[in-house]
Amino acid sequence: MDDLGTFLAHAVALEKESGERFDALADSLEVHHNPEVVELFRKMAHFSRLHLREVQDRAVGVVLPHLRPWEFSWPNAEAPETPSVEDTHYRMTAHHALLQALASERQGQAFYAGVAARTVNAQVKALATAFAAEEGEHVALLEATLSRFPPPPANWAEDPDPPNAPD
Amino acid sequence: MDGESMTHPNPQDYRSDVKPVWCPGCGHFAVITSVARALAELGLARENVALISGIGCSSRLPAYSTVYGFHGVHGRALPVATGLKMARQDLTVLVAGGDGDGFSIGGNHFLHACRRNVDLTYIVMDNSVYGMTKGQASPTTEADWDGSKLTPGGPGIAPFQPLEIALSAGASFVARAFSGQPAELTRQICEAICHKGFSFIHVLSPCITYRPEQRAYKDKVHQDWSQPASDRTEAFRTLLEDDGFATGILFRGSEPAAKPVERPRVALSDMETQFVV
Repeated sequence: MDDLGTFLAHAVALEKESGERFDALADSLEVHHNPEVVELFRKMAHFSRLHLREVQDRAVGVVLPHLRPWEFSWPNAEAPETPSVEDTHYRMTAHHALLQALASERQGQAFYAGVAARTVNAQVKALATAFAAEEGEHVALLEATLSRFPPPPANWAEDPDPPNAPD
Repeated sequence: MDGESMTHPNPQDYRSDVKPVWCPGCGHFAVITSVARALAELGLARENVALISGIGCSSRLPAYSTVYGFHGVHGRALPVATGLKMARQDLTVLVAGGDGDGFSIGGNHFLHACRRNVDLTYIVMDNSVYGMTKGQASPTTEADWDGSKLTPGGPGIAPFQPLEIALSAGASFVARAFSGQPAELTRQICEAICHKGFSFIHVLSPCITYRPEQRAYKDKVHQDWSQPASDRTEAFRTLLEDDGFATGILFRGSEPAAKPVERPRVALSDMETQFVV
């Protein structure tokens, strides 16, 4: 990725989609009365929006191209910092939510590090390196937080009255 | 599609404040996101779009969108949408539903909507189960699926083949997507809306509550159909090799879309004269 505008368009989309997904996950867990995880997902959405604002500030004066959703050069099917929908469960704990957040931050860090390693544009390299370092800080922070939330007992998903009980 | 010279609305503008009641982890979340992104990408005004559905988890889509919506009766989304499109050719009409609603209760309407080639975009979220009514086998359930007490040992009949049937019945745009690949799904929805005729998108959308094994879909799907066939026979040949997990746009035909019948040229008074004895 050698064009500054294209790189910043990716950075904007990465944070925007991350914030929207964390909010969607929070909404979904709110419907299923899991306030601890809701709070955590809301915080992650808030952080994504703060980072989005930082990226937008850095993009002032740069013309960002309009990329269609399928034109982004993401390594996988979605923007790298977008937490996975399928890893959520209505009885998930803060430990699981932190693992999900950690995975998304690690993917974001790897994406920026990859861009920094491959680009021939010095401006893009400098920004991608800085963004990768920032993501690295988030990873370290989440790892430290995760250590305060040990894995739940093995039967965490057990529900005496599960929604999928046959009538 | 010309996406370069227009201002694009925010996809969130197409989402209502109603929070989805789907199970956490459900594939349908990605479908509503993709619909919103596609509408934003095409810059369609909300008042010029209608989203019609039947009954089922996936048929809740209209409630989660800010475009006009109609949550109809079970299996009858396509007749409602057909009537709407015939009456209002200026509207973009999307239809959403599940495999039970679309292929069983509404199976007959599916055949004839394909045959009529009305300019609709039909998005079927297929999870091979009736999720809303607690997990019974649906038309696309595997013959040996033993997950429901109603069908011990499995339904025992070969599953419905949505793409083959759509192609046979005359659909002029046939595609398959996976909810875990929302960018590709968004692309297909954009292409389907722009296609003039009946567009059918078969979306593999896991139900993690009743079919937790569908979490493995992400390892099974493979994007094979990079170029849509314009010849129906060629599309059928491609389907002979299909394992049910190939994604992409399979077929895009050029048959003209159905148009409303012109107003009758005979006045009622003229008819009355025929009955004079």
